[in-house]
Amino acid sequence: MSNYFYVSPEQLIKDRAEFAQKGIARGRSIVAAIYDKGVVLVAENPSASLNKVSEIYDRIAFAGVGKYNEFDRLREAGIRWADTTGFTYSREDVDARALANYYAQHLGDMFTEGQKPLEVEILVAQLGNALRPTKLYRVAYEGTISDEPHFAVLGGDAETIRDRFALTEESLHSLKVTLQNASAALTGPERKIGAAELEVGILEDRGNRRTFLRLNDEQVSELLS
Amino acid sequence: MGLPLFSAHSDPGPSFWHYAEAQGLTPTPSSKDDSPHATTVIAVKYVNGVVMVGDRQATGNYIVSRDVRKIEAADRFTALAISGSAARGIELLKIAQLSFEHYEKMTDSALSLEGKANYLSPIIQRNNLTSPLMVLPLLAGWDESHRVGRIFEYDGAGGCYERFDFATIGSGSPFADGTLRLGFRADLDLEAALELGALALYEAGDNDPSTGGPDFVRNIFPMMVTVDAEGFRELPSAEVGERFRIINERRTQTGGVAGGVLR
Repeated sequence: MSNYFYVSPEQLIKDRAEFAQKGIARGRSIVAAIYDKGVVLVAENPSASLNKVSEIYDRIAFAGVGKYNEFDRLREAGIRWADTTGFTYSREDVDARALANYYAQHLGDMFTEGQKPLEVEILVAQLGNALRPTKLYRVAYEGTISDEPHFAVLGGDAETIRDRFALTEESLHSLKVTLQNASAALTGPERKIGAAELEVGILEDRGNRRTFLRLNDEQVSELLS
Repeated sequence: MGLPLFSAHSDPGPSFWHYAEAQGLTPTPSSKDDSPHATTVIAVKYVNGVVMVGDRQATGNYIVSRDVRKIEAADRFTALAISGSAARGIELLKIAQLSFEHYEKMTDSALSLEGKANYLSPIIQRNNLTSPLMVLPLLAGWDESHRVGRIFEYDGAGGCYERFDFATIGSGSPFADGTLRLGFRADLDLEAALELGALALYEAGDNDPSTGGPDFVRNIFPMMVTVDAEGFRELPSAEVGERFRIINERRTQTGGVAGGVLR
């Protein structure tokens, strides 16, 4: 028979939070910001194929930091949930808030009941229209959901990046300016990174039903110049 | 519905249909065929892509609707047309559109045209072998990887066959087929393909009571669609109307027959 040692709930939560934070801190960060015509998601990502930013639905995008296999599974579940909801009811009934809540519940459950908490932090972005507002929902590893006005930073060095980015984002700018600010906030004054190391996705109305667009390296470097 | 999470061994992958079926979202068969059907849809290959023409009438024991859209864009480079049960056909359209987009979002890459054509086979098979509500689609599109227009037709058991010239589905197809056999050439340009497609549909509308020809009283005309390297494009109704008006006037002059030339 195995022996059980008493661990206080406070200690347990603290240990789990530390474990998750450590995992998340290992990866690069993401900045998501609302600009004058839409939402831009900017990830520092040296891989061109293992995406951190992706499309969920017509007006909803997803971004994740931390362990790739964990947030990618959440991304897939989000696409399934959105497509099923739109198929069962109507495309306009697919709401980012509902999805963010499901993510929050799942992350919360995994944090308290799982073998180990998920080492991820995710963001659900929604481009507004007549029915719904433009929103950025950030969901942390323990299930805390926050509705971020204007912009959100995910990942290891979030505090520093947030402070750097906040200085520039008093009001809504163009995509070009917002992307430049986001890139500068991600790297800080000491470092410089090229378009190839940035993964950029936007939600913007272009006359199509689907508003998500992944920007390629040429488009990103043109916006950064 | 909760968050659809799966462990790696039970994950349904990027196929929406397999996922939906596992979740019981696809309908179960019914027992009586009393839904409107009958149709003519034509697909013709031309040098830079494909042309599709489809009538607009839904027929039960009487005309149920005169402005049905039987051809839809399944995605930017794929046109999907339906014949048979309207309910099942529209559902198939919805599933196809959603599945292609679902795959693209899940994998961050689009399905090949052949992949899309094959994807529909088991769906048609399952529907047609378990239900009297038959549905037979026709898929035509621009193959992005091989830079060519392609047409795929199906049989009732879900068999998928590529056609290298033209294909027709629906009750009016014998008449449309006759016209296409006489008029098809491998070097058709866009204009010639549109003209031939319109003629074939006119013939079907003229001879098959369940195919709606041009309706000059209500200004409802067949749908005409092209798919090429630029993607899916539907011709404006006024342009289609003009095309059919010209054919109609020619036929009026020769007493309802073509008069010795394919025209």
